[in-house]
Amino acid sequence: MIRLQGIEKSFGRHPMLKGIDLEIGTGEVVVILGPSGSGKTTLLRCLNFLEKPNAGRIRVGDYEVDCRTAGKKEIQQLRLRTAMVFQQYNLFRHKTALENVMEGLLVVRKLPKREAREQSVQLLEKVGLGGKLDAYPSQLSGGQQQRVGIARALALNPEVILFDEPTSALDPELVGEVLSVIRKIAKEGITMIVVTHEMGFAQDVANHVVFMDEGKVVEEGHPNRLFSSPKEERTRQFLKRITPDGVYSI
Amino acid sequence: MKLDPSFIWKAFVELLSVVPTTLLITVVSVACGLLIGTAIALIRTFRVPVLHPVAAAYVTFFRGTPMITHLLLIYFGMPLIVDGVSAFFGWPFRSSAIPMIAFALLSFSITAGAYASEVVRSGLIAVSKGQLEAAYSIGMTTPQALRRIVFPQAFAASLPNITQLFIGMLHGSTLAFAVSVVEINAKAQIVAATNWKFFDAYLAAALIFWGLTVLIERAAGLLERRIQLYNRGGVA
Repeated sequence: MIRLQGIEKSFGRHPMLKGIDLEIGTGEVVVILGPSGSGKTTLLRCLNFLEKPNAGRIRVGDYEVDCRTAGKKEIQQLRLRTAMVFQQYNLFRHKTALENVMEGLLVVRKLPKREAREQSVQLLEKVGLGGKLDAYPSQLSGGQQQRVGIARALALNPEVILFDEPTSALDPELVGEVLSVIRKIAKEGITMIVVTHEMGFAQDVANHVVFMDEGKVVEEGHPNRLFSSPKEERTRQFLKRITPDGVYSI
Repeated sequence: MKLDPSFIWKAFVELLSVVPTTLLITVVSVACGLLIGTAIALIRTFRVPVLHPVAAAYVTFFRGTPMITHLLLIYFGMPLIVDGVSAFFGWPFRSSAIPMIAFALLSFSITAGAYASEVVRSGLIAVSKGQLEAAYSIGMTTPQALRRIVFPQAFAASLPNITQLFIGMLHGSTLAFAVSVVEINAKAQIVAATNWKFFDAYLAAALIFWGLTVLIERAAGLLERRIQLYNRGGVA
């Protein structure tokens, strides 16, 4: 279970998150929607302290921290329980696909090399890259890099995987392969929080949709309910703009 | 004026005997310089309190003054400090016991440290922030992330500049003559002093420096190709 209470974050004098409360059950697939600048990505990055929240409490599984007082140790504990898939993949450029996945197992989990290798090969096979073990990121397509990124996140067996616009940097024809991998692991019951603009994905896979605007949660609920009968005017406006039936589609 | 090939050859052979001195000065100053430079670059990159302005001052002073000035400052300043400390504690040690080359090694290391800090800093900047974030996201500590993720890439990115530093220090090592260290250039002067064929002797010295530089370039080229292996792919 993940619980956020009163998360606040500002950049300089500009408040980005104005007190976010959110509860996420184990195994839930949460999609965070919202216009750009609404704080979705910032919220995600606060969860593993890539951005340090100014206030609030974060609970992941059995571990809870007070953001105001969290030190190195607390942050480390939080990061051991989370993993992230980045918009720009951020694979370790000087390491092969296999080494990218093994890195966390070797250095953080301190597994013996053989075991780490075995697990990593399995994960890469799972994301359809069993044949690319020794390829460097620069030799892989965007879609393949992102799938390595997903395998790297899975390797740590985290309580939750945070996806930060995982398909936004991809060529349109590569989006499908990444989404289908995310779909596949969603079905395995791994808790996921996904910031995305893929409405189709949100409708099919999510079982919890959060709509944010101007640093606040405007509305949340099951996708069927939220998409068909949003309560808030702001949500309605957003949904109308993002799914403008027949106007254009990319 | 006529060139004397047989004397050039004789000078060349004699100069070879002091190549180890030149290489010692170069290698020690670059190695120490890279250590100092890495520390300085990290302090400046992470803006370590207290040390950060000290590091900035070090870089601006030593980049802002000539290498030979550093050598002379060390040469005339160090004995004062050493003898003062020695006298204070009642040790028998006197600065006159310090070998001349030690002044050159110390001084050039400090010079190289200032240059190297910018080389290392440019390498660190070349590694995208996302690399560090990815390392953090899988639970690495900052030292782990630096050692395993950032440094290898920063090193690869700064190799051409490190080579440049190496060559610069090789040629700069000639300044050691100012404190009576006999390296290649000083030896050329000594060899020529017997028959006044300075041009021939310095020509031999030039050939040796050129040869050493080509060797450094070749070695760096090989290392670069090996280390940059991961950048060979076509797609970004």
